[in-house]
Amino acid sequence: MPLLRTLSIPLLLLAATLGPIYWALPEGLSLSRSLGIVLGWAGCGLLLASLLLMLRETRLARALGGLERMYRWHHWAGMAAYVLLLAHPLLLAADGWPDQRLLAWQTISPVGQGWPVWSGWLSLVLLMLGLAVTFEHRIPYRTWRWLHLGLGLAVLSGLLHLVLLGIDEPVLLILGLAAFFLGWRIVRDDFGLAARPFIVQAATPVADAMVEILLKPLSNALAVTPGQFVLVAFFDGPGFRGCGEFHPFTVSAVCADGSIRVGVKALGDCTRKIQSIGPGVMARVHGAFGSFLADRPAAPQLWVAGGIGITPFLAQLRAGPVKQLTLLLYLYRNKAEAAFLSELETLAANDPDLSLKPVATGNTVPDLNALLADVPGLAQEACYLCGPPGMVAGLRKALHDRGIPSHRIHFENFDFR
Amino acid sequence: MRRLYLFTTGIFWLFVAAFWAASLWLPPTVQPQAIAAEKVYSTADLARHATPDNCWMAIRGNVYDVSTYLPDHPSRPELVLPWCGREATEAYDTKSKGRPHKATTDDLLATFRIGRLAVDTP
Repeated sequence: MPLLRTLSIPLLLLAATLGPIYWALPEGLSLSRSLGIVLGWAGCGLLLASLLLMLRETRLARALGGLERMYRWHHWAGMAAYVLLLAHPLLLAADGWPDQRLLAWQTISPVGQGWPVWSGWLSLVLLMLGLAVTFEHRIPYRTWRWLHLGLGLAVLSGLLHLVLLGIDEPVLLILGLAAFFLGWRIVRDDFGLAARPFIVQAATPVADAMVEILLKPLSNALAVTPGQFVLVAFFDGPGFRGCGEFHPFTVSAVCADGSIRVGVKALGDCTRKIQSIGPGVMARVHGAFGSFLADRPAAPQLWVAGGIGITPFLAQLRAGPVKQLTLLLYLYRNKAEAAFLSELETLAANDPDLSLKPVATGNTVPDLNALLADVPGLAQEACYLCGPPGMVAGLRKALHDRGIPSHRIHFENFDFR
Repeated sequence: MRRLYLFTTGIFWLFVAAFWAASLWLPPTVQPQAIAAEKVYSTADLARHATPDNCWMAIRGNVYDVSTYLPDHPSRPELVLPWCGREATEAYDTKSKGRPHKATTDDLLATFRIGRLAVDTP
């Protein structure tokens, strides 16, 4: 990744943190009170930046190094802001400690206060509850998504706290930006204004609990390359009622007429329902995102796919023969779950530079070290990994242990929670 | 990250509880200065303390030096500062929406008392 793109998000967060601090840097106050004020503004700036990082826009994602990277930083910025904002009232109260204990308590106590203090408390409590929900993965995705978006109310309440305290000069600008980012996300991304209309042309079961769907554009085609993923919401059609919410699906083929194929594995309520989809169902497609498999070096390559993780590699192979010596390790539980295996065998038979090594792992965790031991010339190869997070994490560790540097290990998790 | 959330949230509530408990169970270490002195100030004395760094106010016949408290006051400074160096009972009794301050605020105010306001004679 270019240096500027690598530094883009850290620089953005630094500016969002230092900007408000520079404006509000207190003079002549005690250390505790000054620190309380500084941390409050730093938290405010980080929250604003984390709102920007949750936008799903192709150009923005490209500039910031990809949607998955934006989401990772969105999580860290939000968490860092939370910790700073927790310290903010405590440090303000500590200013009166230990000589004026009543004053210390009254500084943070919501009792007997007005909206300037209540709105601050409301913001903290909403952040607290919202984050508790964020870490609860047993909640169905649809409910989880809306509850998580409720964290935006915490941000607005925190900014209202500042306005009611009489600090309106920079806060109104920040409030405007926060409302803009939240509105942008809800209208363009969640309600699908940024997505384009498509129609399902065919749906083919390719393995147990996995279907490949051919989507034809009803307006302009999307610019998609193999290795990318799109966000798709399926709506109603003949004999089918879609859940209408956007889920990420990796493209398994990019057709010349602008149609795309996506592989959908039944992993939750919505994707389970999609297994019975048929032609004629309306869909909206947003994207494409990601740069997995883009800018590959002219060096031998190791591709490792686990289960549904075969789709980006399949899209690349369907687009034409590989240009470098490539070994594709395809891990699946059993033959019934080995989607596209016969097609991959045909592709490998017709491409002298491609070697396919299918591995049925059964229900046990595969011995990744043993698998990698059989790979000739591994030390010189660029490695591309796609599959369940546990498998990718295990492979990364195994590759590191074998001396492969991080910049030669490429992966995407496609996990949006 | 979940562990960090649980840890910091727990610590936060522990500190909040500690501040609350300390305000209830421990007597203030600094007694209001003025109770012992019980000085009497004229309105002219009062008027000489009308800046944010040196702010006295007269409320219900008592004089308070609230200079150190002003940075902590929750409402916007332009609402409070004009009352420095003045009789501010009406402002104190009619804050937002005309409501008086709460009893807990009266307790807090008492800690800043420095004396009585002299009754002006014609």
